[in-house]
Amino acid sequence: MHNPPVAPRTSLFKKYFLALFAAVVVPLAIAGGSEAWFGYHDRRETLNDLLEAEARSAASKIQDFMDGIRDQLGWTVQLPWSDSADDRRRLDALRLLRQVPAVMSLSLVDAAGKERLFVSRIGLNRVEDGDDHSNDPAVRGARSDRVWYGPVKFLDGSEPFMTIAVAGNRSAVGVAVAEINLKFIWDVISAIRVGQTGEAFVLDQLGRLVAHPDISLVLRADEAATRPLQALWAAIITRPGEAVTGPDLSGKMVLAAMAPIPGVDWSVVVKQPVAEAFGPIYAALWRTAALLVAGAVLAALLAYWLTRRIVGPIRLLELGVARIGAGHFDHRISLATGDELERLASRFNEMAGELAVSQERSERISRLRRFLAPQVAELVDRTGDDSVLDGRRVEVVVVFCDLRGFTPFSAQSEPETVMAVLGEYYHALESVVSAHGATLLSFSGDGAMVLVNAPVACPDPALRAVNMARDMQMSVQRLLVGWRAQGHRLGFGVGLAMGLATVGRIGSEGRLDYAAIGNVTNLASRLCSSAEDSEILIDRVAAGAVGTNAPLVELDARVLKGFDQPVPVFAVVIGVGQ
Amino acid sequence: MRFIPSAFTGPAGRIRRRDFIALLGAAAWAAPARAQQPAVPVIGYLGSESPRAYASRLVAFRKGLAEVGFAEGRNVVVEFRWGEGQYRSLPTLAMELVDRQVTVIVAAGGAEVALAAKAATATIPIVFEMGGDPIALGVVDSLSRPGGNLTGVSSLSVEVSRKRLEFMRELRPKTDLFAVAVNPTSPTSESQLKNLHAAAGSLGLQLRLLNASSEQEFDAVFAAVNQMQAGGLVFTSDPYFAYRSPQLAVLAASHGVPAITQSRDFPMAGGLMSYGGDFEQSHRHTGNYAGRIIKGEKPSALPVQRVTKVEMFINLKAANALGMTLPPSLLSSADVVIE
Repeated sequence: MHNPPVAPRTSLFKKYFLALFAAVVVPLAIAGGSEAWFGYHDRRETLNDLLEAEARSAASKIQDFMDGIRDQLGWTVQLPWSDSADDRRRLDALRLLRQVPAVMSLSLVDAAGKERLFVSRIGLNRVEDGDDHSNDPAVRGARSDRVWYGPVKFLDGSEPFMTIAVAGNRSAVGVAVAEINLKFIWDVISAIRVGQTGEAFVLDQLGRLVAHPDISLVLRADEAATRPLQALWAAIITRPGEAVTGPDLSGKMVLAAMAPIPGVDWSVVVKQPVAEAFGPIYAALWRTAALLVAGAVLAALLAYWLTRRIVGPIRLLELGVARIGAGHFDHRISLATGDELERLASRFNEMAGELAVSQERSERISRLRRFLAPQVAELVDRTGDDSVLDGRRVEVVVVFCDLRGFTPFSAQSEPETVMAVLGEYYHALESVVSAHGATLLSFSGDGAMVLVNAPVACPDPALRAVNMARDMQMSVQRLLVGWRAQGHRLGFGVGLAMGLATVGRIGSEGRLDYAAIGNVTNLASRLCSSAEDSEILIDRVAAGAVGTNAPLVELDARVLKGFDQPVPVFAVVIGVGQ
Repeated sequence: MRFIPSAFTGPAGRIRRRDFIALLGAAAWAAPARAQQPAVPVIGYLGSESPRAYASRLVAFRKGLAEVGFAEGRNVVVEFRWGEGQYRSLPTLAMELVDRQVTVIVAAGGAEVALAAKAATATIPIVFEMGGDPIALGVVDSLSRPGGNLTGVSSLSVEVSRKRLEFMRELRPKTDLFAVAVNPTSPTSESQLKNLHAAAGSLGLQLRLLNASSEQEFDAVFAAVNQMQAGGLVFTSDPYFAYRSPQLAVLAASHGVPAITQSRDFPMAGGLMSYGGDFEQSHRHTGNYAGRIIKGEKPSALPVQRVTKVEMFINLKAANALGMTLPPSLLSSADVVIE
C-alpha cells in the first residue's frame, strides 16, 4: 500500500499567485501613492497662492469701499472756513449723505475745533453749533494723520458703526468726521465668491466680526458664536503667508487665507470648503484608487490564470505519477501545454509504458523459471526475448532417468519416507541439471525428463548430456548407498538420445509446459527403461556425437518397444577417465 | 370547474375579508399621518390692512422668500389674515393662525401687529416688521439676541419723525407754527411726540397736535391746519396713516396743505413729501427671515435687523400745485423727485 505524500507546508499555487499579484500591484500602488502625495502637495501649494490672491483681492475691495468714503469726505474739507454760516457747505454735506449711503451723519469742524455743521439721516441737522471738538480723538487723529479710522462700535450691541475723520491739506479747512454704518460693507463682502461656495469675512483688530455674507452673524455681535472664525484668523496670524485648515461656523473644514486691510487695521479672511478646494485632487485620487483597484483585480485574475496554468499541469502530473506508481501502467498523462511540462508528461508516459513492458516481462520470466534452468531463465530475462520458447524443430538431446524398484518401495514405505527420499532425489537431480545448463522439463514420480540444447542452444550438446547423465548417476548412487543402508532396495538408471524434435511451449496461460516431441523423446524414454541400475544408455546418434570424448561401450542392439528394428545401444562407462 | 365545495369557499371568503380590513386600516393610518407632517410649510401672514394696501409690501416679502429659495404655492403656503384696518381684531386673527399651527407667523406692518402675534403664541416663531424701536415697545429684549420666539425687522420710520419736521421747516422757513398729525392709539405715538417736541424746542418752533385714529377724522385734521395757518402738516410714523397714503394725498391737495408722511406712497399718490424707512427693504428682509426660520434656524439666533436706508421722496407737481418752490437743500437730499 502506498503512503499518501505528506501535505506540503505551502502550495505552489499560493506562492506563484502572491508573487505574480505582488509584481503587478506593488509598482501600481507605489505609482498611485506617489502620484497622490505629489498631487496633494502641488494642489496645496497652488491653493495657498490662490487663496492668498483671493484674500488680497477681497482686501482691496474693502479698501476701495473705505477709500471711497474717505475720498468723498475729502471733498468737504477743501475750502477754508469763513466766520459766517456757509450754506454751500451745507448743501455739499447733504449731497454727500445722498451720495454715500453708508454715511449716517457728518460733522464738519473748523480749524479751531468748533463744530460748524452737522447733518444726519436720523437726527436733526445743526448749523454753527459751535461745540468744541478739538479734543475729540477723531479730530485729533485726523489732524495728525490726515485720515483717522475709529474703532468699530456696535450700536445697541448690534449694528456695526465706525467713525472716519478726514482732515484737509491745511488746518484752515478743518476736519470732516463721519459716522459710517458698516452694514454697507455687506454689499461688497457678499459679492465676493471664492471658488464655488467659498466666501470672505472681515474681522477688526480685536477679532470682532465686522462683515460677513450672513449679516445676521455680524448683527448678533456675539463673539462666542463666531469663535471658529476667530480661531481661523488666529491660526493664520501664527503662520503668515500660509493657508490654514480648520472648521468654520457650521463645523465644515475650510481652507482659509488672510490679507490685511491697512488703515483700518482689519483683516479679510477668505475661506473655501476643503472638500471643494481639494475637489480636483480628490477626483484624481478617486481615479487613481479606482485604477489601483481595477489593476489589482486584473492582476489577481491574471495571477490566478497564470498560476492555474502552471499548477494545474503540475497537479495533473502528480496525480498521473501517483497512479502510475500505484501500478496503473496503462495510465497516460494528457497535457497539451506545449512547454516543458508537456515534455515532462510525455516522459512520464514513456516511463509508464516502459514500466508496463518490464513488468510484463518479469511476469513472463517468473513463469518461465518454473521449467527453465536458472541460466536459461536468466538468458531469457537478459535478452528480454522469450521467442526462444517458440515452437521449432531442433536437434536436441533428451535425457530420461528414473529410480529402479520405486513402485514396490513406495507401496511398502510410509508416505513420509517416500516423500523424504523423493525430496533428496529431486534436489540432487535439480542441482546437476542446473549445473549443466540443461532444461528440466518435468518430474513425474521417480522419473525426470531433461532437455539439452533447447530452448537454449549450447555447444556440443551430446557430450554435455553424457557428462550430465554421469553426474546424475554419481549423485544419485551416493544417495542410493544411504537408502540401501536403510533397507530400501532402489536403483537408478538413465537413458538419453539425440535427434530432431519439435520443442516449444505447450499448454494454456495457467498451466504452461515446455515439451520436446519426436522420436528421439520416445527413444530416450525406452533407453531409460532398458537401463539397469547405475547404467547410462545412449543411442547411436549421441554416441556418434560424443565420439571419443567420453568412454563408451557399444552393447548389443536391443529390441525396444515401438521400434521395428533392434536399436544399437551404447553405455557410458562410469568412473573411467574421470 | 363549476362545482366548488362549500368547505373551501368559507375560509377563502374570510381571508379576503381580512385583507380588505387590513387595507382599510392602512389607508386610515396613512391619511392622518400625512396631515400631521405637512410636506409644505405654512406661513401665517398677519396684516393690519387689506391685500390691496399691502400689495407692494407683499411683492417685497415674496422677493425675500425667493432669496432663500421659497416660492408661494410651490414649496410654501401662505395663509393670510387681514385686519382690514380694524386693529382690535388683530389678536383674534393672530390666535387663528396659532390654532392653524402654522410653521411661522409673519407679523408685518407695525407694532400693533407684532404685539398681537406676540400675545398669541410663545412657541411658534414670529417674524415682525415695524417702524418703531422693538426694545422700547417691549417686543424684544435685545436686538442682537432677541430671545424667545420673536425676531424681525425694524425700519427707522419712527425715529425720523423729527427729521420730517426739519424738512417741513426747510420748506417753510418763515413759519414757526406746524401741525402734527398723531394717531393716539398707536403704541409709538408717545415716544414720537417726545422726540418732536424736543426737536421743535431746538428748532424754535411751535407744534399743534391733531389727533386722528380713523379715516373720518382725516378731513378735520387738514381743515384744522388751514384754520390755524400752520406752515405745514407733519405726520407721525404710523402704519394706519402709511396705508392710507392715497386718501391723505387727495385730502392734502384738496385742502392745499403741504404735508409730509413716512411713506413714499404719499408723494407717489400726489402728496408733497415723504421721509421714512425703505419698506421695500424691511419687507424683503421679513420674507428672508421667514424663509430662514422655515429652513430650521432659531428666531433667537437671528438678530433684529434695522433697515439701513431712509428715503426721501418729493413730488414737484404737488409743490407747484401748492405754489411752493422747493429749496435746493431739499432737492439735493431727495432720493426720488417726482416731476
